[in-house]
Amino acid sequence: MTPRTGGSRSGTTRASHRLERLLVIVPYLVRHPGTELTEIGGLFGVGQEELVEDLNLLFVSGLPPYGPGDLIGVDIEDGRVWIDMADYFARPLRLTRAEALALYLRGTALAGTPGVREAPALASALRKLEEKLGPETLGELAQRVESAEAGRPAETLDVIRKAVEEHERLRIEYYAASSAETTTREIEPEEVFSAIGNWYVAAWDDRSGEERLFRADRIRNAEPTGARFEPRGLAGAGRPLYTPTERDVPVRLLLHPGARWVAEYYEVGEETEREGALEVVLPASRLEWVARLVLRLGGEAEVLEPPELKARVGDLAHRTLGLYE
Amino acid sequence: MHPLERLVDLVALLLDSRRPLTFEQIRDKMSDAYGQEDLHSAKRMFERDKDIIRDVGVPIDVVAQDVWEVEQAYVIPKDKYYLPEIEFEPEEISALFVAARTGGEDAPAEQAVRKLLYGADGGLLAGASSAPFATEAGTTDARLTAAAEAIAARRSVRFAYRTARGAGSERHVDPWGLVFRAGHWYLVGLDRERGEIRAFRLSRVAGALREEDEAGPAPEGFRAGEHVQAGPWGPGEPEERATVAFSPDVGWWATGGIQGAVVEPTRSDGWVQVSLPAAPGDALASWILSFGPDAEAVEPESLRKEIVRRLEAVR
Repeated sequence: MTPRTGGSRSGTTRASHRLERLLVIVPYLVRHPGTELTEIGGLFGVGQEELVEDLNLLFVSGLPPYGPGDLIGVDIEDGRVWIDMADYFARPLRLTRAEALALYLRGTALAGTPGVREAPALASALRKLEEKLGPETLGELAQRVESAEAGRPAETLDVIRKAVEEHERLRIEYYAASSAETTTREIEPEEVFSAIGNWYVAAWDDRSGEERLFRADRIRNAEPTGARFEPRGLAGAGRPLYTPTERDVPVRLLLHPGARWVAEYYEVGEETEREGALEVVLPASRLEWVARLVLRLGGEAEVLEPPELKARVGDLAHRTLGLYE
Repeated sequence: MHPLERLVDLVALLLDSRRPLTFEQIRDKMSDAYGQEDLHSAKRMFERDKDIIRDVGVPIDVVAQDVWEVEQAYVIPKDKYYLPEIEFEPEEISALFVAARTGGEDAPAEQAVRKLLYGADGGLLAGASSAPFATEAGTTDARLTAAAEAIAARRSVRFAYRTARGAGSERHVDPWGLVFRAGHWYLVGLDRERGEIRAFRLSRVAGALREEDEAGPAPEGFRAGEHVQAGPWGPGEPEERATVAFSPDVGWWATGGIQGAVVEPTRSDGWVQVSLPAAPGDALASWILSFGPDAEAVEPESLRKEIVRRLEAVR
């Protein structure tokens, strides 16, 4: 026997969730008669069966004395829905403050990221929200939130996006920060995404025979090759920006206060407090970028391991000093 | 009677009614729902339903029927219930959907867009496009919402903060603005103990933000963005300019993201000189050194000296 939730706590939670959903779906259907069930399901994030179940309950609801003329009219035919006799539900419930804030903050963040195709439409939508929702929902917040990203998007972004959509291989000239080298390679780009202020493309890299992330602003040229590829389902958004490999060397650094930001910015392994300094292990498959990192940190970071990194930093400092002699 | 049916009927009744209704009147009209013999259990059920309805955001006004407030009546005020008419173009709604899904799922943000769908033309792509954006994990977490609420309500906030240098302390701040930059949210306001305007990265706040007393007003012409690092020169508005030369390997991208950078004609050795906004402090020297032997500070002389000093320290 399947457990029934009845009037228990979880039962009422479920009822409240369904009520919340209905108070949004019904006005939409009053305004957009004959909308397909599948479209409603997609827009409102509800399964077909659940939706039909809710709509079936709706047409025994209405106003007292609950006679035939007082109940909400629900008509489901050929997978489409019509609702009438629900004038009081002809417009949706207001946004709660939490909903308005959450959407406004996310929207502002996205609108200010250079290279977002939706930015103009998003900006005008946010302006409408500011105007129409009024101070009782958003407060003074609209004037107090800003998202001013410095800079401009990578010029190659449009070419890469088109290649992603059309599953087309690209030939790129790429500057890899890990090795401080520029190389030409062919990639199969699958997803473009933005993380901590930069655009990346998740792609299959022919040169290494591996999946790689490429920073869009480090792609100097992107040329479509005309060749199509079968996507492997590579995903970008939300993944860590550094994927450990078997070739990784553990780099052990002692970070003094001026260098502690490194532990926030990069994905570090172990962290140990050492009398005001922080000892971290940074996995790295190439030492060049770590050497440049240590160089910029000046005396604020000490290399504990490996010894060849110390030597490399010394060499890098020597070569850089050469520019100033 | 199904609980959902009861809830829908109650919202419909209180929303459609011209005047507030007492529990007795509601019980009379909705006898299938609250008509039980036991008045107390009927009242309890009504109270529970009322709480659920309020929880989903339905405003219910309570009006006293007599001076002793013994008898109360309930109504859903139409002007507080209904969403104002806002017309949206399909691409605007689609952009809002993308925003709501940016940086992971966020139920309130998505629910907000679903309410707004009403004002859009039909025939939208079901579910709109996916959101290929990942901002800092937990962007709309409790701290961000709490900061936004405090700004909207003009309340000061208290919180534990750890600086980039690792120093932890308790802060008491009059919050004046929120800034999103390079994937992070910053709260900007007056640090009361320090008597200065400071920017706090929300990911460095430990624990919750607690609202305290009324916040003082922001000074005339305050702009939150000016207090958050905007480029390699560090926080604030740059006052000077510096010239930096970049090797051909890095010259084409190094200054791509920097506002106010002016690229000079390429030198005969292929290096590119760029004039950049600059401010006193370590930030610019540190940034130039991150390019190793691929970048050279050309001027001012003080910047060259600082770089040489740092290089000699690690050699």
